[in-house]
Amino acid sequence: MNEQSSYRVIRLHGELDLARRDEIAAALQVHGPGAALLVDLSDVQYADSTIIAELLRFRGEAASAGRRFALLLSAHDRRLRRVLDYAALGDAFALFDDRGAALTYLSAPA
Amino acid sequence: MSGEGAVPGSELRIVRVAHVDAAKPLRHALAAFMEALGIERELREDIIIAVGEALANAVEHAYDPDRPGTVELHARSAHDGTLLVDVYDRGVFVPREQGTPGRGLGLRIVRAIAREVEIDVDRGTCIRMAFDARGGGQSFAM
Repeated sequence: MNEQSSYRVIRLHGELDLARRDEIAAALQVHGPGAALLVDLSDVQYADSTIIAELLRFRGEAASAGRRFALLLSAHDRRLRRVLDYAALGDAFALFDDRGAALTYLSAPA
Repeated sequence: MSGEGAVPGSELRIVRVAHVDAAKPLRHALAAFMEALGIERELREDIIIAVGEALANAVEHAYDPDRPGTVELHARSAHDGTLLVDVYDRGVFVPREQGTPGRGLGLRIVRAIAREVEIDVDRGTCIRMAFDARGGGQSFAM
């Protein structure tokens, strides 16, 4: 996890499933008002619905805290984007496959 | 998608203790089975997504954590190029964490990917999924 002055990055790796839910839940903490939030999933090869549920919770907590939130997905591996589409959640998150575009979004006025 | 030389009847059957760590190796075993069948990568990935949800459901909901049972993965190729995958547990649905966002997503994902889904509840839960796929014929025993 990297701290930046205008945004915070939470980077997750590997295969995210039920076995890692507690670890993911601990990583996805908003901690009240503050910088915009980027969850970097560009090195994630698999995520099941338990992880999507954690992302939905995190989205809600970020919104409650007034913090912008975006997901960074791999530009080459479309699996996570397809999972979100199959879950009918393709429009539920601000999705990017380009880090610069994600940071531009996060730095824009709310 | 590779369909030439398809030999129906290829089969994979694995039984594991339904612990949270069981889902990943079961997904990997199914992925290797499908690769050997010649199923194309994106379709393999989607089938893994769907079957992964069924496995997660069994691991999370079938058993009391203090009394774990088994989860069985059974995959076989049919004559018409269909891949049939069953995920079977012998437990009783144990609900957890009511009100958590995203509950019900797993079955939605399964239904979006599989051509057919049946859920049989009789001395356990069997989620039967049928996917459009084609491949060659190899036998697996694991």
